[in-house]
Amino acid sequence: MINNKMGAVAACAVLASVLAACGSSSPSTSASGSADTLVGAGSTLVAPLVSQWQPEYDKKAKVAVTYGAIGSGGGIEQITARTVDFGASDAPLSESQFKEAKEVVQIPWALAATVIAYHLEGAPNQLKLTGPLLAEIWEGKVTSWNAPAIAALNPGVTLPATKITPIHRSDGSGDTFALTNYLSQISPEWKAKIGKGTEVPFPVGVGAKGNSGVGGAISSTNGSIGYIAIAYVLANKFDYALIKNAAGNYPVPGIPSISAAAKALTTVPPDNELSIVNPPVSAPAAYPISTFTYAIVPLKSPKASTLKPFLKWAITEGQQYGPKLDFAPLPQLVVAADDATIEKIGS
Amino acid sequence: MSVASVPTPPGAPTPPGAPTPRLLAGGPRRRRRKLLNRAMEGTATFAALAAVAVLLIVVGSVLLKGLSAIDLDFFIKGPAPFGQSGGGIANAIVGTCLLVAMASVLALPVGILIGIHTAEFARPSTASAIRFALDILNGVPTIVTGIFVFGLLVAGHVQSGYAGAFALAIIMLPIVARSAHEVLTLIPGSLKEASLALGVTRWRTVLTIVLPSAAGGLITGALLAVARVAGETAPLLFTSSIASTLISTNPSQALASIPVRIFELSESPSPSDHAQAWAAGLLLIFFVLLLNVLARALYGRAQRRMGAS
Amino acid sequence: MSVSASTAAAAPGALSAHRGLADRLGDRALIGLTWLASAAGMLLIALLVYKVFDQAGASLSRFGLGFVGSRTWNPVSDEFGAGDFVFGTAVSSFAALLIAAPTSIAIALFLTELSPGRIRRPVTTLVELLAAIPSVVLGLWGIIVLAPFVNNTLEPALHSALGWIPLFSGSPSPFGLIPAILILTIMTVPIVASVSREIFQTVPTELKEGALALGCTRWEMVRMVMLPYARPGIVGAVILGLGRALGEAIAVTMVIGDTASIHASLFAPADTLASRVASEYQSATTPLQISSLAYLAAILLVLALLANALARLIVGRSTRRLGASAGGRR
Repeated sequence: MINNKMGAVAACAVLASVLAACGSSSPSTSASGSADTLVGAGSTLVAPLVSQWQPEYDKKAKVAVTYGAIGSGGGIEQITARTVDFGASDAPLSESQFKEAKEVVQIPWALAATVIAYHLEGAPNQLKLTGPLLAEIWEGKVTSWNAPAIAALNPGVTLPATKITPIHRSDGSGDTFALTNYLSQISPEWKAKIGKGTEVPFPVGVGAKGNSGVGGAISSTNGSIGYIAIAYVLANKFDYALIKNAAGNYPVPGIPSISAAAKALTTVPPDNELSIVNPPVSAPAAYPISTFTYAIVPLKSPKASTLKPFLKWAITEGQQYGPKLDFAPLPQLVVAADDATIEKIGS
Repeated sequence: MSVASVPTPPGAPTPPGAPTPRLLAGGPRRRRRKLLNRAMEGTATFAALAAVAVLLIVVGSVLLKGLSAIDLDFFIKGPAPFGQSGGGIANAIVGTCLLVAMASVLALPVGILIGIHTAEFARPSTASAIRFALDILNGVPTIVTGIFVFGLLVAGHVQSGYAGAFALAIIMLPIVARSAHEVLTLIPGSLKEASLALGVTRWRTVLTIVLPSAAGGLITGALLAVARVAGETAPLLFTSSIASTLISTNPSQALASIPVRIFELSESPSPSDHAQAWAAGLLLIFFVLLLNVLARALYGRAQRRMGAS
Repeated sequence: MSVSASTAAAAPGALSAHRGLADRLGDRALIGLTWLASAAGMLLIALLVYKVFDQAGASLSRFGLGFVGSRTWNPVSDEFGAGDFVFGTAVSSFAALLIAAPTSIAIALFLTELSPGRIRRPVTTLVELLAAIPSVVLGLWGIIVLAPFVNNTLEPALHSALGWIPLFSGSPSPFGLIPAILILTIMTVPIVASVSREIFQTVPTELKEGALALGCTRWEMVRMVMLPYARPGIVGAVILGLGRALGEAIAVTMVIGDTASIHASLFAPADTLASRVASEYQSATTPLQISSLAYLAAILLVLALLANALARLIVGRSTRRLGASAGGRR
């Protein structure tokens, strides 16, 4: 009896000490010794760039930035609820969202693109597609890869008869916004039936969470086609489609074609909302589904003194980490507008 | 009166001349029944084997795929930046330990107290009402618990380790309370009565005699509850998911955790992310199964002791 | 004699006279403390139910009960309904139970009747350990191992063999109802099997031996004695498993394809109440959407609680009835 009791007590003590050891160490400093922290959440499109920023900014300014890649919709929701210090979204805030979020500003802090990636065994990379065709694919009207519409655009390519599985984002996504914004502009039927937004009622297809999730779905489904941020296409070496732009060209998505799309901008509106999908004919080399991505920040923030330097760094020095992930540098007039907006942030 | 109309009692010898009862008849009918029996026995055996096989397949996959991704970096480093391989889940390991420890500090005392209440002090009707309510709590889907704690502690504030631990504690509570109740009711009444007869007060009886005797079973309940919540993802999704990539022990911010990290890694298409997910899953399974086996062994020992005394 | 008698008589009194404040209050304190803990527990449950319904309030008042059947889920037009998800939850859970119930009963019968004593304990433990696998690990296995198997082997096979049934029409997909059903089956079998095993153990041995003595084969004994006797308990166990399947969010959301839709084919992607809440709650764009997701959670809560309470009542009643009468082998 004594032995069992001792045994029980000993086991208890061991368990308690293990748990205590795990839980000890002072709560005030994290392992990097950083004094300040910033917590942000949102866009998975900008997440690769933020993950480069985190260690670099920590080294430079001793500020630990925590970022949760939960999707642009999540970024808007979290900053509206002020559960984070900054939100990140590829979709600009709508008027009602601005009202809900109460006194926030959006700051375009990176420039990238949403790429149409696909997984089709037996077909080459860089198949040519058009905007209206994309609309029909995601509407469920074109269901097979060897459909005449696709074959016509890709002469000389033998397309297998595989069924098309369109993948969409199941969470609130800035990439969804970029694509549906584009599709609403070039297809009146899409605009009427489905519309644009970070979440829309896709009639067919499989849903996946986050850009990673779309990537995962694409790589595991033969015949799948999805829209995914450019950094993920690069990292996973997916096949991607060339989309016909207004000038009739098929630019390869990358820094030159993204910058060309942004060059069409002449002014920045006061709310900083920039839409560069479906660039005009005057931009012959522009990739049609390019998109800015925004940091969404409260005008009055208790973390203003940490937040402002971080934002300023992000739009200047931070941009140097972009090109290897296919983020194009911000155009100068955007940087100037951002600077003015950042100044308005106070505590 | 015909002999055949009188049913033969079981075990009694068949009276001579009486027709053989159907059940005892031989011939093709009997062969068919035996065949059916064999088939059913085979099915049952097959089902059990299938269950064991599935367990072995799942655990085997995790073992095979996870083992190759485990290295020192896995344990001491946080996640690598996007696109780079390597790194580890150090922040998630520390986070899980801390979350589970905090949840235990909250749930174990309260759960054991509830167990003492229902086993020792409450009227039988009250006790069964409380136990029924706790069973209800046990049946709440963990995602709903997450929504509850989000609404209570996170909305309007920030995600935090405290909120995550509280959500885990809610899940642990019914398990601890139920096992505490079961163990305490197993204590022989004679033990308690002897103590009370000697003039020891009830509270001293409970604290110095009942609880120590039940220690084994209480620890079992604690271990099972810990094993259960160590692997829970849903309650942490909204309460403690936006967490630092650095090792953090600050519960006022969100803490990373192994299940949430596995969830994040699993959706990625990158094979190195998958490898890390398997490795993290291996660590988790190992820990959970170890606790379960330990708990069972302790419970078996406690039961035998209770039965013997 | 009288001295010792009086000492003996005085002893209890003497003891109580020596009782200090701690002793006198100790009982009250402990009883009070434990009562407080129980009250806190009950309060917690009430608070949980209240808070979930409170968060669903905006959507409840806007859509009312029609929400449960409505098939819209449109964040653009801010209209929501739970129809697609109730369907997904119902189909995935019931299909999983359709497979899990007979399997679990077979396993329970194996463990109580067929297995030799030596392997009984280990196999019982192994089956119960299946329940201990964290759902996220099962989901990971589902994405990486099961989904390709379903896409490349299982669904094509079902399609070619049974494609004329609408359930198995359509083209194979790695994510959809089928992998979700399989994973839910794996999760519910251990629960239903272990509760069924306990129920079967309460069947009185005399009844079983009586049937065997009459010349029944073992299967006939099971069919004619054990199953009818244990039926309420088994039903309870199955409903318990149903409760578990209803509430599973993580493993399901990883393999079900996260799509709000209703198709006749089981190959198609779908979504359940729990899975939709898990994937969208953090990223809902409008307050009405957040509230609608909380409404989904409330529906889920009601379903799971009903299943659980029903199961406990049935199992509790049957084990009390069975256990009380001519106690069986334990």
